[in-house]
Parts: sequence; C-alpha cells; structure tokens
Amino acid sequence: MDIKEVIAVINQMQADGVIERYAIGGAVGATFYLEPVATLDVDIFVAFRSEPGSLLLSPQPIFDYLEARGGTMEGEYIVLSGWPVQFLPPTSLLVEEALGQAVEKDVAGTPTRVFTAEHLAAIALQTGRAKDKARLLQFVEAGALAAPRFQAILARHALVDAWQKFERQFLSDAP
Amino acid sequence: MSFDLQKILESKRALRRNLAARPVAEKLRMLDALRERELAIRGRAVHSDSSGLREEPVPYRTKPA
Repeated sequence: MDIKEVIAVINQMQADGVIERYAIGGAVGATFYLEPVATLDVDIFVAFRSEPGSLLLSPQPIFDYLEARGGTMEGEYIVLSGWPVQFLPPTSLLVEEALGQAVEKDVAGTPTRVFTAEHLAAIALQTGRAKDKARLLQFVEAGALAAPRFQAILARHALVDAWQKFERQFLSDAP
Repeated sequence: MSFDLQKILESKRALRRNLAARPVAEKLRMLDALRERELAIRGRAVHSDSSGLREEPVPYRTKPA
C-alpha cells in the first residue's frame, strides 16, 4: 500500500497523454496542508478527454490504461498499489477553478498537483457533510488558509452565507 | 503526565501541529498505515443495520441542492 506509487502511475499516465492535467483533492489533498486523517480512498480530479467522434467525456481511456498496468476495477474505483482511486470530473465551477489553480507539490522527488488549501476548504464548506465540516475546522485551527484568497473564493462561488453560518455554528464563542 | 485538561488539550494541539509540519512523504506514509489499520478494524467490526445514526455518503463533488 503506497500512495506515492499511485502518484507515480498517474504522472506516467499524464506523460503518456491519457489525461491532460490532474489534481489531488479530498482527504489525501488535505494531508499536504494538515495532519494526516484516515481515509479509505484517493480522489483524483481530472479534465477528461472526449473520445473521438463523441461529445461525451469518458473515463474509459483511464481505466483501460490502468487496467493494462495492473489496476483492478472495484465499482467506481480502480485499485492501484492497494489504494482505491476515484477519478472525478470537475462538476461544479468551484471544483473546475480548483483544478485550474492547483499547485505543484513534491513528494520526496515525485512531483504532483494538489488543490490549494483554500479551495479544499471551500469545497468542504460547499459539500457540507459532517466530515467536511470537521476538515474545514482543521484548516481554520491550523491557520492553513490565506484569508484574502479564501474570502475571494467564497465570494466568487456564492458561499459567503454558508461561511457565516459555519462561523456562527463552530467559531463563535457565544452559546 | 497530568490530568489538567488545559495541559492535555494543549499537548494534543502541539501533537497535531507537529504532525502537520512533517514532510509530505512522511505524512502520506502515515495515511498508508492509517488505512491499513482502518481496514483491519472494519474487518473485525460487528455491523448492525438497526442501531446508530448514519450519514448518507453523498459524493462531495456534487453541489448540494
């Protein structure tokens, strides 16, 4: 089980032209900025290529490529180096922006791209499950967010009200 | 060792800061180990459908309605 191997395989897939660009999101992405928190899968956001003659975007070339290199399909996941990996298209403007503005990171000599801390936090706010709120709190408590950049993202994606509600719920000293 | 709650909480915060500041490669290795542990624990857990609250796992990529 080795996430670094997963990253290396995805880098090779990008170098081979199967995907244009990718970025790590979710709990694994958050680990680049915070303390590690257990997760069961790896979320990879990709700009899918459309297949020739089709307007539909398809992950099939990704699955074909990875299966030929030892990956095994399990439902919506493909298992690489012991990790279930999910390839996700950017299905909202926020995630699309996060993919476009993802930053280069180095994992002991292996390059990769990761959502910014501010985008990960904004996506957590937008998604709003209990574990997303917990992650957002982690970002705040760790001081991992650049406030002007985070506020600008919230404003661009109509999340200011949601943030104010979150602040009242979790960051206010008042009962 | 102390049972002073403030000291305990502060030491937890310090541990979290320390973990967050470690090199990414080391933190990713920790994720590998955490996942192995979680799978082992889940494998031993006795599941019950009738007890406990459960949040439906809505994929976080979807925009809430």
